[in-house]
Amino acid sequence: MSEPTTERTEAAEGAEQPDFLKVTDLHAGYGQARVLQGLDFSVARGEVCAILGPNGAGKTTTLRALCGMVRGRGSVTLNGTQLLGRSPEQAARLGVAHVPEGRGTFNDLTVEENLRVGAHLRSRRRAERAAVAADLERIYGYFPKLRQRSRQAAGSLSGGEQQMLAIGRALMLRPSLLLLDEPSLGLAPLVTRELFEIVRAVNEEERTTVVVVEQNAQLALDIAHRAHVLEAGRLALSGPAAQIREDGQVAEVYLGVSVSARKTG
Amino acid sequence: MTELLQQVVEGLGSGAVYASLALALVLIYRFTGIVNFAQGELAMLSTYVAWQLVASGMPFWLALPVTLAVSFAGGMLVERIVIRPVQGAPELTVVIVTVGLFIFVNALAGLIWSFTVKDFPQPFPDGGLDLAGVRVDWSTLGIIGVVAVVMGLLYLLFQHTPIGLVMRAAACNPASARLSGIRVNRVLMLGWGLAATVGAVSGVLVAPLLFLEPNMMGGVLIYAFAAATLGGFDSPVGAVVGGLFVGVAETLTGAYVDVIGADLKVGVPLVIILAVLLVRPQGLFGRAAVERA
Amino acid sequence: MSTITATLGTDRARRLRAALTVLLAAAVAVGAPFYFAPFQVFQLTMVLLYAVALAGLNLLVGFGGQISLGHGAFFAAGAYTAAVMLDQYDTGHLATLPVAAAGCFLLGLGFGVPALRLRGLYLALVTLAFAVFLPPLLKRLEPVTGGSMGLTVDKLQPPAWSGLAEDQWVYLVVLAVTAVALLLARNLLRSRVGRALLAVRDNESAAEVMGVRLSLHKTLAFAWSAMFAGVAGCLYTWVIGFVSPDSFSFVLSITLLAGLVVGGLGSLYGPLLGAAFVMYVPSVSQDVSEAAPGVVFGLLIITVMFVAPTGLAGLPGRVRAAVARRLPRPAAAPDRTPEAASAPDAKPESQSASEPSATDTPADPAVADAEPVGAPPRTEKE
Repeated sequence: MSEPTTERTEAAEGAEQPDFLKVTDLHAGYGQARVLQGLDFSVARGEVCAILGPNGAGKTTTLRALCGMVRGRGSVTLNGTQLLGRSPEQAARLGVAHVPEGRGTFNDLTVEENLRVGAHLRSRRRAERAAVAADLERIYGYFPKLRQRSRQAAGSLSGGEQQMLAIGRALMLRPSLLLLDEPSLGLAPLVTRELFEIVRAVNEEERTTVVVVEQNAQLALDIAHRAHVLEAGRLALSGPAAQIREDGQVAEVYLGVSVSARKTG
Repeated sequence: MTELLQQVVEGLGSGAVYASLALALVLIYRFTGIVNFAQGELAMLSTYVAWQLVASGMPFWLALPVTLAVSFAGGMLVERIVIRPVQGAPELTVVIVTVGLFIFVNALAGLIWSFTVKDFPQPFPDGGLDLAGVRVDWSTLGIIGVVAVVMGLLYLLFQHTPIGLVMRAAACNPASARLSGIRVNRVLMLGWGLAATVGAVSGVLVAPLLFLEPNMMGGVLIYAFAAATLGGFDSPVGAVVGGLFVGVAETLTGAYVDVIGADLKVGVPLVIILAVLLVRPQGLFGRAAVERA
Repeated sequence: MSTITATLGTDRARRLRAALTVLLAAAVAVGAPFYFAPFQVFQLTMVLLYAVALAGLNLLVGFGGQISLGHGAFFAAGAYTAAVMLDQYDTGHLATLPVAAAGCFLLGLGFGVPALRLRGLYLALVTLAFAVFLPPLLKRLEPVTGGSMGLTVDKLQPPAWSGLAEDQWVYLVVLAVTAVALLLARNLLRSRVGRALLAVRDNESAAEVMGVRLSLHKTLAFAWSAMFAGVAGCLYTWVIGFVSPDSFSFVLSITLLAGLVVGGLGSLYGPLLGAAFVMYVPSVSQDVSEAAPGVVFGLLIITVMFVAPTGLAGLPGRVRAAVARRLPRPAAAPDRTPEAASAPDAKPESQSASEPSATDTPADPAVADAEPVGAPPRTEKE
């Protein structure tokens, strides 16, 4: 198991624009259920940020508030632009690509069509056609399996391939902010590991800012620069990923899983 | 044998009309997951628009595209004004709204054009082909041809244009479509517009055969329901195949089953719907989208 | 006065009030034919028999969450059963009622079995196709049904001992049948079947998990519902004395559904209001134009679904709720007026009875439900 912890932390510290994504006093919920109770955090440009915490802590709601799927109150700015109060399609047009829990591929469409939907905002302009074609190649480069299945219906893919496709489609947006909601859900450990390595590669090569919500804290901490631990809709703990990982006691209390046990296992 | 073939040809002619209304139903179902009970009445309204244009001196083949354009805009308007407010409401609510629209549009046509029957011009020349003793009227060929062209255009639109891709994505998974930046509400409007256009084709084609009056499409709607049920409510190909099958089945039973005869032909779609529900509820081409309860 | 209501706002007082209301309503209903002119009495009779059909439809749509676009056909089946029995076998009026009821119940079962195995709108499709098919079928069965000419049979005649005019006697008999039918509908809903139906409507999969046999209950609900329509049809024959295929076109089915929606889906007295609507709106607006009833009905259905999915019957509850919302609680608290005191008690009751969640506020739940937060923070989970 490679542990590039030190480099990741340095990258985060060296990042310009520490407030690229800035969340201030964020409240959100569903109907009567108030899930987020005033959340503050920032993500620097080019950083991978992991949001961890037990079930029901508000991790998914946080991501949904960022992309407009859930209405929130407070302030969320991306590169200075207010994101709250926008619909998901507006958020997408501002460069926020959200890969929802349960993947959300277009199962009737072929793999390549799925990817093209991701680029539809650009593909209408003739000048962009070459760029879209190049992006397709780029995605296929990250996910060679998708190239093999490019003419297959997305519904016929395995769970891991669908997750790759969902991430690939999100990347076709050329997002400035990539939101991943539980990418490991329901996938075999080997597949998950591969997926996270690709996310790390994307982040390193394209400097895409990533916010990832994960149950599997160990996996997320491996690729993250910084991590925030939520509990009951509030920030319980924040810090560089390495520090959160090393603090075994904190992890056990807040993440509900024994990080050290998982490490050896 | 020749007689049988003759009946089949005529069945295909009316089947093409059912197919195009069924296709309109399927389009709406794919986009919004509801059965639009007002589809036939919207088609009837479009047919009146065509009639009005022709009556005011416009040549038929110019009136047709104008009518289709008006229908497209009308369909989008209906989605925006009538359907959008109940978007996301329980199925029952949406269906009752389409039934309300059915009643309203039917009466509106009566209010504007009265309930007296109007002659609709036959756009195709008299006469026809003689194929080995089977007579194929130009009008039958024309109907099948027009419907085939409409299907072909729809196929091209959905499979080979960026907007078609976006529409299929929105129909398949609206939440993910929005996350990809697709304005799903606009796509829904487009879908209703397209459905109204395809439905208008069926109305304009059937009007010369049935005479134009506000209740003209009521019967056609039942056949279209049978066609869509048979083909599968989520399958455009199924709608076409189902429509043709229902048309042929109707003509053949009308001609050869004495008990049925011309007056009871409208029992055929009822029997087809019941049989499909008992034997293969998802239809011939549909996926098992409807849950068993 | 206010002290009495306030202190006796108990179960007993409420039951007493309900009993008084029922007695008063019964007195008014029984007295009506002796006050109004014969034609008006006839109209009231029609309202009552439509109410029977709507109560049946309400079982299905309002409580079962299913749609029938063919209740006019069951109405017709009941009417023809009565007419044919009177015409061919001279059975007398009373005998036709159970036969019409049982026949339509079985007919409902027959259509319910294939259509209700599936979720969705197949029942609507099947019933619509049936409603369109029935008139030509009736025309075809000329030897029995009289074809398109229809059948003329004896109306219900008052017995000599009653000393009543025909319209009064007919009214009172129909009133009695209607009262029994409405009571039956109410009891059906309170029975195991009714509770199962409500559970199914509110959450189909949860109800199934809890062991409610969905298709059985839905099919039974449909059969009961068809039976009510058949009884109404039978009464129709008693009242009018004439049936013809064109009286029972598809328009009747649509009109019944429209009346129910406007009257109030899922409420117990919605059918009565809806029936008045079915009776009076066409006769009033027909003077304007042949198309006017349709325009009015169509617009009303859509409007009701937009703004008041509970229909007319739900209006008092909605108004009360709106008033309660307007008057902030602290302001009302110091001097608790009887209204303010009773409103919160009454509200949940009337809501559970008359507000089907199946027709609740139309909106995108994901977006609209996520209200802006800010009020007292609570610790609820995701």
